[in-house]
Amino acid sequence: MSAPLSDPAAPAETRESASRERREKLWRFLSDWQAMVGLVLVVLFFASALFAPWLAPYDPNAMDIPARMSGPTWPHIAGTDQLGRDTFSRILHGGRVALYISAIGVSASLSIGLVLGMIAGYGPRWLDNLMLLMFDAVRSFPAVILALATVALTGPSLTVVLAIVILTTIPSYGRVARTATLALRHTEFILAERSLGASTPRILFQHIMPNVIGPLLILAAMEVPVVVSIEAGLSFLGIGVLPPQASWGTILNEGYLVIRDAPWMVIAGGIPLILTTLGFTFLGEALRDVFDPRMGRGR
Amino acid sequence: MFTYLLKRLGLAALVVMAVLLLLFSMLHMIPGNPAILALGTRASPEAIAEYSARMHLDKPVLTQFVYFLGNAVQGDLGQDVFSNRAVTSVIGERIGFSLALICTGMGWAVLLGVPLGCLAAVRPGSWLDRVTGVFSVGMIAVPSFLVSIWALLLFSLELRWLPAIGAGEPGDLADQLSHLVLPAFAIGLGWVGYLARMVRASMLEVMGEPYIRSARAFGLKPRRVVLGYALRVAILPTITLIGMGFGGLISSAVFAEIIFARPGVGKMIFDAVSDRNFPIVQGGVLVATGFYILVVLISDLLIAWLDPRVRSSL
Amino acid sequence: MTNDILLNIEGLTLDFRTNRGRVKALRDISFPVRRGRILGIVGESGSGKSTILWSILGLLAGNAEVTAGRVEYGARDLLTLNAEGLRAIRGEEISVVFQDPMTSQIPVLPYARQMSDILYRRSMSEADKRKAAVDMLRRVGIPDPDSRVDAYPHQFSGGMRQRAGIAMSMLTGPNLLLADEPTTALDVTMEAQMIGLMRGLRDDFDTTIVVVSHNLGLIAEMCDDVVVMYAGEVVETGEVHDIFHNARHPYTRALLECDPARIAEVSRKLPVIPGDIPDLTRPLPGCIFADRCQKAMPDCARVAPPQVARGGGMARCHLLEGPLADASWPPPADVVTVGRDLGGLAPAKVRNDAPPLLDVHDLNVRFRTMGPLKARMNGVSDPFVDAVLDVSLDLQPGETLALVGESGSGKTTLGRTILNLQSASGGSVRFDGQEIAGMAEARFKPLRRDMAMMFQDPVGSLSPRKSVRALITEPLVIHGAQGRDLDAEAERLADMVRLPRSFLSRYPHELSGGQARRVGVARALALNPRLIVADEPTAGLDVSVQGEILNLMADLQAEHGLSYLIITHNLPVVRHIADRIAIMYLGRIVEDGPAAEVFARPAHPYTRALVEGVPQPDPDRRRPPSATIEGEVPSLLRRPKGCDFASRCPLAQEACRRAKPEHIHIAPDHRHACLFPLSTTSDLTETA
Repeated sequence: MSAPLSDPAAPAETRESASRERREKLWRFLSDWQAMVGLVLVVLFFASALFAPWLAPYDPNAMDIPARMSGPTWPHIAGTDQLGRDTFSRILHGGRVALYISAIGVSASLSIGLVLGMIAGYGPRWLDNLMLLMFDAVRSFPAVILALATVALTGPSLTVVLAIVILTTIPSYGRVARTATLALRHTEFILAERSLGASTPRILFQHIMPNVIGPLLILAAMEVPVVVSIEAGLSFLGIGVLPPQASWGTILNEGYLVIRDAPWMVIAGGIPLILTTLGFTFLGEALRDVFDPRMGRGR
Repeated sequence: MFTYLLKRLGLAALVVMAVLLLLFSMLHMIPGNPAILALGTRASPEAIAEYSARMHLDKPVLTQFVYFLGNAVQGDLGQDVFSNRAVTSVIGERIGFSLALICTGMGWAVLLGVPLGCLAAVRPGSWLDRVTGVFSVGMIAVPSFLVSIWALLLFSLELRWLPAIGAGEPGDLADQLSHLVLPAFAIGLGWVGYLARMVRASMLEVMGEPYIRSARAFGLKPRRVVLGYALRVAILPTITLIGMGFGGLISSAVFAEIIFARPGVGKMIFDAVSDRNFPIVQGGVLVATGFYILVVLISDLLIAWLDPRVRSSL
Repeated sequence: MTNDILLNIEGLTLDFRTNRGRVKALRDISFPVRRGRILGIVGESGSGKSTILWSILGLLAGNAEVTAGRVEYGARDLLTLNAEGLRAIRGEEISVVFQDPMTSQIPVLPYARQMSDILYRRSMSEADKRKAAVDMLRRVGIPDPDSRVDAYPHQFSGGMRQRAGIAMSMLTGPNLLLADEPTTALDVTMEAQMIGLMRGLRDDFDTTIVVVSHNLGLIAEMCDDVVVMYAGEVVETGEVHDIFHNARHPYTRALLECDPARIAEVSRKLPVIPGDIPDLTRPLPGCIFADRCQKAMPDCARVAPPQVARGGGMARCHLLEGPLADASWPPPADVVTVGRDLGGLAPAKVRNDAPPLLDVHDLNVRFRTMGPLKARMNGVSDPFVDAVLDVSLDLQPGETLALVGESGSGKTTLGRTILNLQSASGGSVRFDGQEIAGMAEARFKPLRRDMAMMFQDPVGSLSPRKSVRALITEPLVIHGAQGRDLDAEAERLADMVRLPRSFLSRYPHELSGGQARRVGVARALALNPRLIVADEPTAGLDVSVQGEILNLMADLQAEHGLSYLIITHNLPVVRHIADRIAIMYLGRIVEDGPAAEVFARPAHPYTRALVEGVPQPDPDRRRPPSATIEGEVPSLLRRPKGCDFASRCPLAQEACRRAKPEHIHIAPDHRHACLFPLSTTSDLTETA
């Protein structure tokens, strides 16, 4: 009678509950309008980035001096910049950079953070303390400050952006993985595995990881907006993607310089950024609500 | 309690050390002469020689680090490459602008976000809850630098309600405040949403705890249960969150300072990066991280003071 | 309705809306609560007994929906009363004692504040409220209440917290006190004290009490009236003597017969009620107990049973009235009505001539209590506690040794240390003659084939994302399963622990406690070990199910010649299954010997307190309040200098407080550590 109030689960009722529960969860996910909006936006992001070369009406770097600084009119639906390049085509191609950074950045920091976090949570106390100190030290650098410091030495490049993204997001995954591992460490099932003679790698990867990975994947969905924003922000500052290449950040940068004369550029450059971050945030939230209700809104 | 304070201070010192080590090694990991890196390629050979002697560049790296550390502890962060003024005094001139911005930004976010989160948690599923839910996700999702740009476009350039750039005339408080409004709005907006959601989640979790049911079973008034009991517990994780949140806020402030041409530390670092004025970059980064470490330290101590469980386990 | 009825529940019917559909959690619940009496609601998990309490208070979960019924309190119906009206009653007229004092008291407010908050409706000064709180804390037995009132819940021990919880609920002098499993989170000696306290409060304050419990002993010891629940229905009500001595419903009979404390003769095989609680989303139209009832007839499942009155109580059973009535029911009390599997193999023979399989000598386990820095700062020279102190014991092949103690006795630590899951700080552990204490894991691993462990939490000790098939074959995989057909092994093991093969593809959260426990047994047995350390093998299992597991363990012992080291606090069970028992207190063994001997003639006062402390499921054998020992197990941090038990011992003398008593043999296989043992006769206890 541990939770008599809410769920009088009788053992006999659990018979076919697993598959029913999965179907139930899927249904709940699909019937949430926020989840659907998120899903649509995320699909749009992937599709437009992957198929940009075929979707874009113009070469993103083709200059058309006579048509420079034209407002959002046909055939340039999002206007052109000071060199007469088509903003819409540049936005589509800019999505490729965002996709590239977020795919590599998120998967790299997720895997590194997972492993480090599990080691910190399961390993000896001193190792845990050392890891925490490292996470804290890295986190003490606000991402932009760290990027500025690095770029001061190396000069701007996409690689630096990627490195900054990975480095600054590892601690969030690491902390979540560590906390979850720490909570599991003294549970009876881990002790039971030890009593059977299971090796530490076996315990970590067979028994701890499956229980830790779920929240981490949800976190990853929520981190995509962060990563995309960092890239756009750094490129906006001129310390990320370098100017001839199109990125949402460089479009905003160029637009900011002519904000008084061509305000549509900062508007057009911002919209895909917002749609993408909104999409992933909605999706992440919905996933969390369905699969890990304790973490979030807890309906 | 005293042990805890000592431990926590020691830890903060360790993190600062790690930051210093990172800053130091960054300058030394780059191939090339650190003096030229620090002074710029236009520096005269004499200046380079003088710098090398002052920074003990002829000594082993470890010795150099000790000197570097020693200077940093004494408050000597080197000189501005161009004006030759002490980095500390350059920062001193600018830090006020950054602090005002960051504190105002977080301030309005807390004042709005925490009550919103509470209200939403008290009536989950109500229209207020749903509206705050959607709006807060929206606010979180928009990157703060984009808010800055769009706010600049809308409120300064189109509507001309508020000034666009700078920090206002020195001595004219009203002017300075009017220059503060837009950047503070821009960096705080996401935090309103974030705090509203976190407070709501944390409140809902606490509202499900058995001790809240006990309070209800003893017939306490709903107001008392929510404000005196649930919020009293739910606020604890929120404090930690706010402390950690300052890191992100510093990043946002850097953007806001650049976009609104506000002469704070962030703008200073950014300009110094373009000028390759490395001592200024180093000093600025150190101050920014130091500020963050201090804020986290304060929030941890606050928790230790507010939570009797933590207090007595110390 | 006469005036002696304080609260009357009439036809209460309640559903929970879940994603499995509507769970019909309570169906047509009716019973009166008589003024000035203690009513016990007894039932196993899933019976809905706690839900009744929450419906009285109007504090049901959001997914609960009352579809019919009334809860009459005076002229009011609590089910239709508005929020204001309910709040006026809660805490003032009807108050609650909660199951788990650890989670039901807000951790960030001191008791003074929590208690003055409860008095918010009274026009008293803050000073008077504080005084009222102090007085009530003193009444419930909190020492030094003037300063303790400012303490926070985490600064109290478990027993003190529950006392404080009772003080909070009694502060307003309520008419009705509801108690939800008030002793379940507490140790045996504390349980006896709480029962005494609550009975005393009832007399002093003239309060009516409704207590909900699964513990038959507590119900028999404490209550005047009893309501027996099964799967969301009241199956029988009556006065406590009628229920315990002359139960009429087959479920009540079966429940009582399954309680090991009521089985007089020692038996390795315990009775069980076969089957599981029914699916409450689709309850049977007839008798809810029909599919598990030994006396069930075909019509029982189809036709609702009649409600047959007796005295003030009733029972719902076809056997008592109507066309299916059976004049021979209920049979006399000594006739067993539940299935009792007496078959199987004869109990294993303990080989006393053989060298011991396990030989523990002077084993010590120390835990660090604070970091070296903090210890230095606070001037603590020895920042360690002895969780296990100089423990010696041995175990013969085929023998069952029970390690008995309350929480904090170090019994679980000792078990884990023997299996090298916890490092020892001194002493020796020999397994089959080989020294294993402090052995490196790499060298120890082969030995893990011979020594297995069963953990306390049946479901929680199974890796949640693994199927049953993967779980029970995992020991084989870890220890090299080359050439074995794992599917065949999985089926073999499932058959061995009588788990249907179809369960192999399930996951732990889809198992009931009993099924999960079987999986745990299968895992422990997969490698044919010689020793099994079982930590609370009946924890989390209902009385009607625990017999299945114990019987299975007994059969497997007989078949494989296993040795069991059983760690438990459950003395009634131990009496049936153990050959020998060892009693632990604060990390030390205070007495050990043959089970029958220790139960019949305990030498150590603590052993006697434990044996007598268990509430007897028989209202005629209620103990006088003086039979319980005072106080609570002290913290390891404050281990007494002399005999560990001296601070609570009714017979303690000056010498007891000076030095730890040595172990003394009173028979070759019976030792104790007491300076003034209860000798084997009772004369000493009487003079004391």
